Amino acid sequence: MEIKLKKYSSVYIIEVIGDMDLYSAFELKDVVTKMLAKGIEKYVLDLENVEYIDSSGIGVLIHVYSTIKKAGYKLKIANVHGSVEKVIRLTKLTHYFPIVSSLKEAVALLER
Amino acid sequence: MEEIKEIVIDNNNPLLKKDGLFFKEFPSDIRQVRFFSMLVVQKAPPEIKEINLLEQQISELIKNAVRHGNKNDISKKVKVWAGFSNDHAHVIVEDEGDGFKKLEEWNEFNKKRNECFANQDFEEMEKYFSFRTEESNENDGGNALFAALEYWDGGVVFTEKKNCIAVYKNFGKKKYGLELN
Repeated sequence: MEIKLKKYSSVYIIEVIGDMDLYSAFELKDVVTKMLAKGIEKYVLDLENVEYIDSSGIGVLIHVYSTIKKAGYKLKIANVHGSVEKVIRLTKLTHYFPIVSSLKEAVALLER
Repeated sequence: MEEIKEIVIDNNNPLLKKDGLFFKEFPSDIRQVRFFSMLVVQKAPPEIKEINLLEQQISELIKNAVRHGNKNDISKKVKVWAGFSNDHAHVIVEDEGDGFKKLEEWNEFNKKRNECFANQDFEEMEKYFSFRTEESNENDGGNALFAALEYWDGGVVFTEKKNCIAVYKNFGKKKYGLELN
């Protein structure tokens, strides 16, 4: 799994590339922990290039979202598709996660 | 009203019958869980693979057997029996561990989880995102069986020793599998 960071205005876009599975999902948790320590407040998680997620990956998404929320900061998750969307639906978390349809929408919502 | 699903414990359940299923055996090597899952799934017709969803669901069963059943003891084996067609997937995974002792507790937990979800009570829901035990580590999602119960619509059954799980999914119109009522 590869993670790329981009900054758009005050919003940080975390692009995840590859599988979010038991071998790699923790990397995202580590990155977000470091960003939180730096006081970054607005996050977009871009899952366009994630084709596979397992229970460890779902666990990391829950951890990342709940930690950002507890800190009083904001997160949007964009471009959820394919089997990633299906696994989130199977765990019944579709309405819990702040999922939006595109990066553009995510950034616009966070910039308000 | 949504059907209440739960994991069944029953040694005599038809889903535990291995007749006609192919067999594979793997060492408890967590690094190879996805590879083992792919070896099983390669025998499934492409129509039911749903890109990688079938592999993902089988991978969770093997991962649980390796990590929680056999405690990553590489000398212990995970046995897998499986059968696939355009209409169904039937998988049985057995480990050499002492069994999932907290299965009844898991069913209760899942019942409460479903109640929170039905009421859209997000605050209360957060308590039920993940089922954790003293053996859970930070890489355990604790949510695999919730998804399994949804995905395997023909049933999820454990033996009474609770070290063997059988699951069934219908893909066609014809329904087969476990009747809960």
